[in-house]
Amino acid sequence: MSATLNSGKIEVVAVTKTYSPGAPPAVDNLDLVIDHGSYCCLLGPSGCGKTTILRMIAGHETPTQGDILIGGRNVTNLQPVERGTAMMFQSYALFPHRSVLDNVAFALKMRGASVVERNAKARELLEKVHLEAFANRLPAQLSGGQQQRVALARALITNPRVLLLDEPLSALDEYLRLRMRGELRRVQRELGITFIHVTHTQLEAIAVADTVVVMAHGKIEQAASARDIFLVPRNAYVTRFIGGQNVISGTVERTADGSARAVTSTGARIEVPLKGRSASPGERIFASLRRDRVQVRRNTGGKPAQDSINAVAGEVHAIENQGSYVKVTVDLADGEEFVAHVLDEDFFIDPIDIGAPVIASWTVRDVHLLEDRQPQATGRVAAAA
Amino acid sequence: MASRTASGRRTWTFYLLTSLFAGFVLFLYGPMIVIYILSFQGETGGLTFPMTGFSSVWFHALIEGGRTGDISGSFQRSIVLAAITTVLTVLICVSAGLGFRRRFPGSGVVFYLAVASLVMPGIFVGLGISLGFQFAELETDWLISGLGAQLTWTLPFGLLVMFAVIGRFDRRFEEAARDLGASAWQRTREITLPILLPGIIGVGLFGFTLSYDEFARTLLTAGAKNTLPLEIWAMTTNVTSPALFAVGTVTTVISFAVIGSALGSIALIQRRRSRNAGTH
Repeated sequence: MSATLNSGKIEVVAVTKTYSPGAPPAVDNLDLVIDHGSYCCLLGPSGCGKTTILRMIAGHETPTQGDILIGGRNVTNLQPVERGTAMMFQSYALFPHRSVLDNVAFALKMRGASVVERNAKARELLEKVHLEAFANRLPAQLSGGQQQRVALARALITNPRVLLLDEPLSALDEYLRLRMRGELRRVQRELGITFIHVTHTQLEAIAVADTVVVMAHGKIEQAASARDIFLVPRNAYVTRFIGGQNVISGTVERTADGSARAVTSTGARIEVPLKGRSASPGERIFASLRRDRVQVRRNTGGKPAQDSINAVAGEVHAIENQGSYVKVTVDLADGEEFVAHVLDEDFFIDPIDIGAPVIASWTVRDVHLLEDRQPQATGRVAAAA
Repeated sequence: MASRTASGRRTWTFYLLTSLFAGFVLFLYGPMIVIYILSFQGETGGLTFPMTGFSSVWFHALIEGGRTGDISGSFQRSIVLAAITTVLTVLICVSAGLGFRRRFPGSGVVFYLAVASLVMPGIFVGLGISLGFQFAELETDWLISGLGAQLTWTLPFGLLVMFAVIGRFDRRFEEAARDLGASAWQRTREITLPILLPGIIGVGLFGFTLSYDEFARTLLTAGAKNTLPLEIWAMTTNVTSPALFAVGTVTTVISFAVIGSALGSIALIQRRRSRNAGTH
């Protein structure tokens, strides 16, 4: 076989999937390239089309329009088995009436391999996932984590170049979830094949993926490295969905020295670095702000001084101790959630109570301009909306 | 438990509900228990209590035939008819159930059309069939019109059971099999049918017992030769000996044997599936 045939590079080209005529498309004219050997997470709320994309790559759904290429070959109309992909289903779909060994050997049996040959190969894979002792058990006699490893072995027995994982960790408890996601990452590195992993859990995606694709309403909101998705989110949707950051917004007063001065709906002044992008006065701009870089101190004298910048006044709405830090939710009276992650040792020097007036402040380098824009507001009502 | 007070004594509601349930069980089985006892009536005994002794003479009378009517012949016919009905019911209901998983325009109408036939009065279904045969100048026969009449009863019933069985089937099993390279036929044989098997046995069991017991639809469609229920019905007017009760006992034993073997085979399947459980 040539190198391209072994390649697990995925190209989704202008793919649309509509389930019933007239209904909004589940996937809307979507383009996506996933490099061979990378770990890609499709992330989004339920109904955003992420599973539909996975199933179209696997061949369990046919695109209404557009093409799917694997290793440079158009596979849009091929059967799942002809694509060199393997899928790990949500809650695994292990065959309940067959032993672990028969489950793993199933694909080889379908290909006409002899009993000896397929059982030998299946045992080899079970050894890799440390389940050789459970070969004769039924799936129902295994724990969730063991079932997941059987599903992994079953999918890998045909040496696929792409492994498609539909919510692979959602059936596990918290402890196993954390362990198995590391395990998945290790297996992917070891095999060097492409993994596409569908999840609705942000931290899971950030933890395992090379590339995170954030989706909403059948479209891609942002596809970037896990680090970039967090540090330089494209818009307010991605920022809010990934979490760990606040979305702040204000109407631009003026721009100077590569940054914009804006006024929030409550009258606070913020500075937003433009980094080469433009913003015109009167426009409402949005920015992300890391929660762990926000300082919170008691407000002893009403509003912040007129000339202070990157500081907002509010009231403590909720306090949650997270162990290594304390999550302080501040009500700024503008409708947007604003949270500060305060280091535990700083917080407990002088703990703040719920309802206490505080000033939250930050430095300009932790502010990142988002793409969202709103035209000039024509009054307080529009600005607050 | 809620039926105990804090001191461990049972509450009065426990006794009330227990006697209610005991009464219910007696209500269900009492009439037949009377029949079973009387079937062992002494040689000189009659159709009612008291028992004049305890003997199996009435069972012998059944096998010998003669004055008790054609019990063994009608029994054989009923078993053959029930077997054919069972096979046809299973084949048709399983295929229909599998096919019906894909919704199509009008599938709701088709479903209700199939199931609504359950509420049609059986005696008139039989009458309609016999009139139809008369009109077409055909002889009614237990293996032809009788079989058809019974299928109008077992098929909708079997379909209803099959829909319930298939409703619980997770299609991801088939999708996973497809992903692993199984063809449509391989998926059906290796995955779908084995997983559905206990339910399919249930459909067969329904088909068998409904046919074996069927009276209303068969009455006017069996033709010259009787099935067992028809023969027993005839006996209640002719036979005035406890041999009648012996028939009841024997048919009950056979029914339980059929149900027992069906449940046994389901248990066997499940045991075979977990046969190797615990071997390390």
